[in-house]
Formats: sequence, C-alpha cells, structure tokens
Amino acid sequence: MNIRTVLAASCALAALQSTLPAFAQDKALAITIYADDLALVQDKRPVDVAGGRQRIEFAGVSAQIRPETVSLSANGITIVEQNFDFDLLTPAKLMEKAVGSVVTIVRVNPATGQETREQAEVLATNNGVVLKIGDRIEVLRDDGLPVRVIFDKVPENLRSKPTLSVTVDGDRRGSRPATLSYLTSGLGWRADYVALYDDASSKIDVQGWVTLTNSSGTTYDNAETTLVAGSPLRAGEYDSRPYGRPQRPQLVEAGTETGDRERLGDFYLYPLAERTTIANMQTKQVSFLDVHGVPAKHGYEFRNYWMGTQEEPQSAKTVYRFATGSAEGLGDQLPAGVLRFYMRDKQGDPQFIGESTIDHTPMGSTLSVSTGDAFDVKVKPVVEKRERLSSRRWRTTMKYTLSNASPRAVTVTLQQDGLWGDTRIQSETMRSTRPNADMAEWQVNVPANGTSELSVVFDSSY
Amino acid sequence: MRRAHPTRSILMALTVLVAPAAAHAQDITASAPVDVSVTVYRDPYRNEGGFDLNNLNGFALVTETRRVVLTPGQHRLRFEGVADGIEPASAIVSGLPTGVIEKNRDAALLSPAALIDAAEAQQGRVLLSRTTPSGLTTRSEGTIRSGADGGVVIETTDGIEALRCSGLQESVSFEASRTGLSAKPTLSVLTRVNRRIEATIQLSYLARGFDWAADYVVSLAPDGKTLDVGGWITLANGNGTGFPGASVQIVAGRLNRDSGEIEPIDFGRPILARCWPRGSTSDTPDPIYIERAYPLGFEPWRFRQRAMAMPAPMAAMAESAMAKDDIVVTATGRAEQEDLGDLKLYRVPDRSTVASRQAKQVRLIDSLAVPVKRIYAFDTYPNNTTEFEPMEVILRTQNDKASNLGVPLPSGRVAVFETAGSGAATRKLLAGETSLRDLAVNEETEFKLSGGPAVQVRQTTESRERPDPPPPGVKGQTIRTGARFNLVDRVEITNAHPFPIEAEVEVYIDGGEELVRADREPERKNGRPLFRITVPANESVEFRYQTVYYE
Repeated sequence: MNIRTVLAASCALAALQSTLPAFAQDKALAITIYADDLALVQDKRPVDVAGGRQRIEFAGVSAQIRPETVSLSANGITIVEQNFDFDLLTPAKLMEKAVGSVVTIVRVNPATGQETREQAEVLATNNGVVLKIGDRIEVLRDDGLPVRVIFDKVPENLRSKPTLSVTVDGDRRGSRPATLSYLTSGLGWRADYVALYDDASSKIDVQGWVTLTNSSGTTYDNAETTLVAGSPLRAGEYDSRPYGRPQRPQLVEAGTETGDRERLGDFYLYPLAERTTIANMQTKQVSFLDVHGVPAKHGYEFRNYWMGTQEEPQSAKTVYRFATGSAEGLGDQLPAGVLRFYMRDKQGDPQFIGESTIDHTPMGSTLSVSTGDAFDVKVKPVVEKRERLSSRRWRTTMKYTLSNASPRAVTVTLQQDGLWGDTRIQSETMRSTRPNADMAEWQVNVPANGTSELSVVFDSSY
Repeated sequence: MRRAHPTRSILMALTVLVAPAAAHAQDITASAPVDVSVTVYRDPYRNEGGFDLNNLNGFALVTETRRVVLTPGQHRLRFEGVADGIEPASAIVSGLPTGVIEKNRDAALLSPAALIDAAEAQQGRVLLSRTTPSGLTTRSEGTIRSGADGGVVIETTDGIEALRCSGLQESVSFEASRTGLSAKPTLSVLTRVNRRIEATIQLSYLARGFDWAADYVVSLAPDGKTLDVGGWITLANGNGTGFPGASVQIVAGRLNRDSGEIEPIDFGRPILARCWPRGSTSDTPDPIYIERAYPLGFEPWRFRQRAMAMPAPMAAMAESAMAKDDIVVTATGRAEQEDLGDLKLYRVPDRSTVASRQAKQVRLIDSLAVPVKRIYAFDTYPNNTTEFEPMEVILRTQNDKASNLGVPLPSGRVAVFETAGSGAATRKLLAGETSLRDLAVNEETEFKLSGGPAVQVRQTTESRERPDPPPPGVKGQTIRTGARFNLVDRVEITNAHPFPIEAEVEVYIDGGEELVRADREPERKNGRPLFRITVPANESVEFRYQTVYYE
C-alpha cells in the first residue's frame, strides 16, 4: 500500500466519523460484574449535541439491558425521553413495515435473465404478499418465477441489534463527554480454584482464577473490568442459592482477618489488571491467587443420618481441611466458586480427584472440603438391638464396623445424626463428643488393612 | 482495474489504524498435541449399569503437550482442536515462563451463520452473487444489515433486499482475513514475553462427553464350587475430537462433581432463508398425514432402544464366555491398577487411540478358580403369609487373595454363565445378570441372581394370639406396657434338585419386636436372626419361629 492510499484512507475515515452519532472508537467502557447474573455497564463516549431537541443513539448496548435502569449524564443536556428499540430487522418485518408504501420489484426472465423493473405498493402481508402494480393487484411470486423486491431504506425503528435511543434537549452546540450507565444480565463470574495436593508432605498448592462468562449477546471492547465478590440482592428477588449446595458444613470456622483488597461496602472487589475485551459467548479467566505449600489435612468422614442399619458397607467421604488465614493458610478471602483437587499419580502426572463448590469465605477461615467417596474406607452401621423400655422409652444398641483396605492406618470422623429429643448415650466403647444436641461424634482409628468396631447404646424417647 | 477497488484500500487502512488500539496481541497457534493423556471418569450419578453411547455423562481429564515458539511481545496463544466438551473454567496451562494474563474460550465456531453474524458485526463488505435459471451470474458488493437468526437483510447499491427471497440462486462470500472465527473448538491464552522462547507447554482440562463402565463375566465351573471372573473396562468418547496415540487411564470410585452447567458452545447454524409470507393463490391446504399402522405389539421405538441398550461389551462377553479356552490372558494386556488418593487408577498398558465417538475395551481382571458358595436366600418378616416363590441365589465369596481375588473391583454389570449338558454337548449359557457395587479388598462379595423354580420357599403365619391378661414383663430390666401378641410363623423350603442345598432365611424384626423361640438355633446377621438350613436332595424342610410384639 503506498502512502497516497493511506492518506486517502485516513481522509475517508475522518469523513466517516463526522457522520456517526456517538463515536464508538472513543468510548471507554467500564464493567462491574456481580456474582448473580448482574452487571453494571458504564459507557463513556463523546456525543455531538446540536442544540435543541435531538435524538442520540447508542448501538451496541447489551442485548439484555434492563432499560429501566438506564441513565445518561452529560453537561448541559436534559433528557426528554428514552427508548429501547428491540424490534429486530428481518425480511418479514421489513415487508410488514412496507405495507402502504412503494417498493421496487424486479422480474427476472428465467430463460434470458432479462430484468423488468416496476413500482409496486404493498397492500398486505397476511400469508402472502399482495401488491398493487399500476391498477392491477397481484400476489408476489404467485407464478413461482423469480422476483426481487428492493426496499429504499430500512425503517427507522428496525435495528440489526438492540439500540438505545435518548431524546435530549441540548443547551448549545458542540461535542462533550457523556456517560451512559445501565444494569444488564447475561454477564456473570465465579471463581475456579485448582488445588494440587501433595500426599507426602500434606500440603496443597492453590491457584485461583476468576472466570467470567458473557452470554449477553454483545461484545464489550477494551473494557475496564471489576468483579464484585458478594451477592447484592436485587429488590423483589429471593436469595437464590446455587443448586446442589453440599449438605455437610464446609466452613468450620469463619475467619476474622481483613485482606488488603479493595472493598465496596461489605463486598470485596477484584479489578482486572488490564483492560480486556469480553466477547459474546466467551469464557474468560484471569488469575488472582497463587499460593504454594499450604498445610492441608486429609481425613475421612462418615455420617449416619438416623439410627438405622446399612445393608452394605458405605464409603466414608474423603475430606481435606485447610485454613485461609495469613499464617499457615491461603492468606486471602475466597470468592465463591468451584475448588478442584488434583493429585499426582505414580508417574508424577496430576490427576483430578474431585471437586466441591465453596461459598464466599472470609480470610482466616478453616474450610473442610469433601472431594468424594473413599474406595477403601467404609463404615457399616447396624442396629444390633432395639428394645422398648416403656411406651415412651427405647433402648437402641448400635454397632459400627469400620474397614480399611488401604495399606496405612486412617482416622475416621464417625457421626451419628438424628439424636432428637432427649437422646442420651447410655454406654459406648469409645468416648464421643457432642458437636450439637442432634449428633454424636467419634474419632475412630482403623489400622492398615484392618477393621475397627464401635458399639454404642442410645436411650431415646422414640 | 486500480480504480475498481477504492473501498478495499480504505478497509485495509481502517484495519491498520484500528488494530493497534484494540489489542497489541498477535495470534500464534500452538502446535498440535505432540503427546496427550486422557483419564476417563465415570458418571458419578450413574448406577452400576452400562451407559448410553448417545448420552455420555462422565468426563475426562485431558492433558496435552504442545510446542510453541514465542517472539518478544504480547501474544494470543491459540490451542486449536481441544475436546468440544471442554469445561473452559477447568483449563490449566503450565510451562509458559511468564505466566498467563488471561485465558479465553470463544464459543462461536466457524459456521455459515457465524460468518454472517461476524460480517454484520464488523460491517464488512461481502460479495453477493446471484445466478438466474438461465445461468447468468451477476456479482455486487454489499453489507449485511441483519444477522442470520431472523433472516438475512443485505444492502447493495440497488437498495435493501432480503437474501434468497427472490427465487434466484444467491450466495454471499466474505473477506477471508476478517472473520476471526476458528474451525475447531479453541482455547486461547494471552501471554507476554520479552525474549524469544521455544517452550513445551502442558494444557490440561476437564471435558464432558466421556464415560466408562466395568463389565464382568462370571463363569461357574460345572461342579459349582469355583468360578472364573473376567472383566472389561469399556470406555467411550462422545466428543467430536479424537486423541491419537494417547496414554489412557480410567479412575474408579465416586468423586464429587459440582461444576453445574457447562458454558454453552455454538456449533453453528445454517443460513436459512427466512422471508416474508410466501403464500400464493394456488396453495392448497396441508395434506393430512396418516400414521403408519404397525402390527399389534410391535413398537418400533422400543426396538431401536433395545438395539441401543445392547452394549458393545455384551457381544464380546458372550463370545468370551462361549470360547473361554481361547482367551489368552497376558499380564501386559491388562490395565494396571494403582492408588490415586482414595480412588483407584487403572492404566492402559500401551498407548492407544481414543477416537471420536468410539467405545473401546481394555481387560480389567482375570481371576480363575475363585471358590464360591451357592446360597439360596429368603428375606422375610413375622406376621406374613406368602405363596410359594423361588428362592434368590447368591454366589458368595470373599474379595481376598485366598479366594484368588484380592483386588479392588469397580462397580459394574455382571453376566453369570453356567454349564449345561455334558461331554461333547457342554455349553456355557447365561444364567443371569446382576451388578456389583465398588468393592474394596477383603469385602464380602456376592453375586445375586434370581433363582429358578427348583427351590421354593413359603412362609405361613400359623397363629396370632393375645394371652390375657398380659404378663408384667419378661426379661431382665425390660419393663413393658400394653398388650402382648404372640406370633408363630412357619417356613417351608422345597428342593427339587438331586443334590442338597444351603439356604439362609433372614428375619427382619421391628424395634420392640423379639424372637423368643425357634425350632432351630438362629445366627445373627445385620442385627437380625438368620436361619441357616441344609435341605437334602429332593426333599423339603420346615421350621417354626415365635415372635412377640407389644401394641
């Protein structure tokens, strides 16, 4: 390309810009994404104000914009009205809007390719297009022969994409910066954690990524992006907790440490370091946490939900417990997300061993996360005897058999839940603790390739 | 000729001016995988049965080794041809010296509709070519005014027109360099380096659309005292991406999956001519469809389902059972097992190709002469009169070295074969199908089969009495109130076999209920009375037990 062409092109570009209503090139986007399908878009761009009443169009706003949240601010203009046009341009809409007006039809002779042009008025588009040509009325392509229909222009309120238009009253002529801000759905984020557990040293390396997804139908170019950890409840909406939340409590101790991240009220902010383009239908990840060698405790947990017999031995849950504090922990607050655990196989390759969702977790907490069932560590609870002492008193003898097929000794946290009412433990072969009134808990050691037994007699009113 | 392309020059200049402002990143495509490892996990919510090849709900960890050359600057490093079931959030890239600024997965793949949408978004020029029935083709430049979803509207020098609504052959072509779309699922990372780097990078991610199942074949010896256990691992890849020469592992055990819905991927749509209403005066009403009549009982969809449900391994299982002596059992051909935390990992010994939409089988286990007990079982409870019914058959053994087993057995389906006939007419026939749960070493292992008519059982409640007045407590410190009921139940077992059988009757007793007397001394299992009875050849046995309960 020679210099003359470039110059010509630049001139052409300048000419093109002066005709645009709002300069897309100069726009500065700022996007704040909340965790529950809600984002605040701030769109700064210069607008040309003509003085007096005028319409300003913003194409390329989110297709899932909530029009009632739109606000436009600029010096010296008053907003008269706002419209959100979502009547999308399609061939059918084009024809429908042409009813009563004149289009050009071009008949093409199939044999010779010869074209005949005529002006036609569109009368109706109900199950077929009815045209008035001169003083004749005919149905478009009734004979199946090719006919092109040419429209002069696209009707004003048919858009290729949702467009926001604002009618304003300007005080004087001239370009000035304006800020358009609105709430939209279709943008969301969560955290994804990769935890590599080292069996030999009982330590984990944890990487944290924020994952943001865009299904709003629009691409946001070069946007300054901030993520907010926390769920500001919108008015009129219920607290919709994510589906499939694990039943066992994961937050053992809620932390009391303060991180050095920026805050917004009660929420932490995660600004992305660089401007980024969030394309439509894109999944994007940016790192925010990378810590190594955090102590983690590998254990087993089994909960029997009521005083009942399990016909077959049930696997205990594999549990990893670690801290998020600055000492001996991850040293950060954790936004809600999915924690994936990996472990190296015999050849040293990391393999996936299970995952769990975690909630927003303050710094200084203790988390206990389950990755799945242990193949080799099982518990079989059996009701050995159930006697009725009186019409309101029962005695239940439970025996728990714990088996361990792995070549090393393990400790299982065994929990008997469902101790409602004034249930007492009459006797037990090992000392229990009572984490709460409904549950008794034992720490049972099971030898390598061996079994352990625990017998407990409960005295209950049911 | 030079005058014909002023618009093209402007467009190129525009690109040059705009591109540096948008991103400094330069696209670099990493090499195709030079090495790949696939670890397949089963659907955590599927029971012991097989999987449906058309709906695989397991997943895999894919680790690809790729090579890349980076020059100083900022790069968008593209990994093309990742599995289409990729969960982009799980992707890990290691081996880049300066780390990763951001990772992206664009869901829009190259497709006719994606091209239209891209041309519409960029307001790029397209070339519209139109051919009349006589073969005359004209070309004109235009811009796309609306995308592919609702029908394409195009603006040319003539005015506004709709694509493919005129009855002429119409098509659009695009500028090759401007689409920005990839043909295969692509993951990209943004990275910055300050010197030239040749790196070997590992990309690992979880991908859906995989599954595996264990299938066992159990063959009983003619004397019924031992059985041979053979097992296959069947793994399947439902992705459109294949993994040639991969090292393949499978993981047994149930692990948590909490990721929820996968982010959508747009595999593309065709460009449809969506036009204005096109009715004409010669249109006739829609014809009435008459459904094809099938003979009674013939349901074509059921046949299709059955064909689908017939799992690939079944054929192989049947075959292996028919010709057991032909199996060459080699240690190298079998998957090697190791512990992976609290899970079990099986390594396919040789590199293998996990092709797209393919199921493949690897030998899991071969254990010969496993001693087994054949038990006829009946579960019952007091105060229950039943008709004669066949007793359930349990083949019981212990998963330990003494029983020639002693390996973890992943849950799966079991086909049990028994020998019929004698001498030259000996055949192995399917005796039943059952399933196994995840069995650790040293666990009691039972194959449960529905029994045949030869061994029948019946329980009859003989009497139900309330002695009056109720006695004031019977045993020890137990104090009872309310009325006491006395129940006597009789169990009869008939054996039509010419050999004696072992039977087990387990009595489920409610809380407060008590077994007070029986013709035979019961053992205890699961906290319940269990009667173990030997029934002689071609004879029957009966016994009574008495229970009490309080109102």
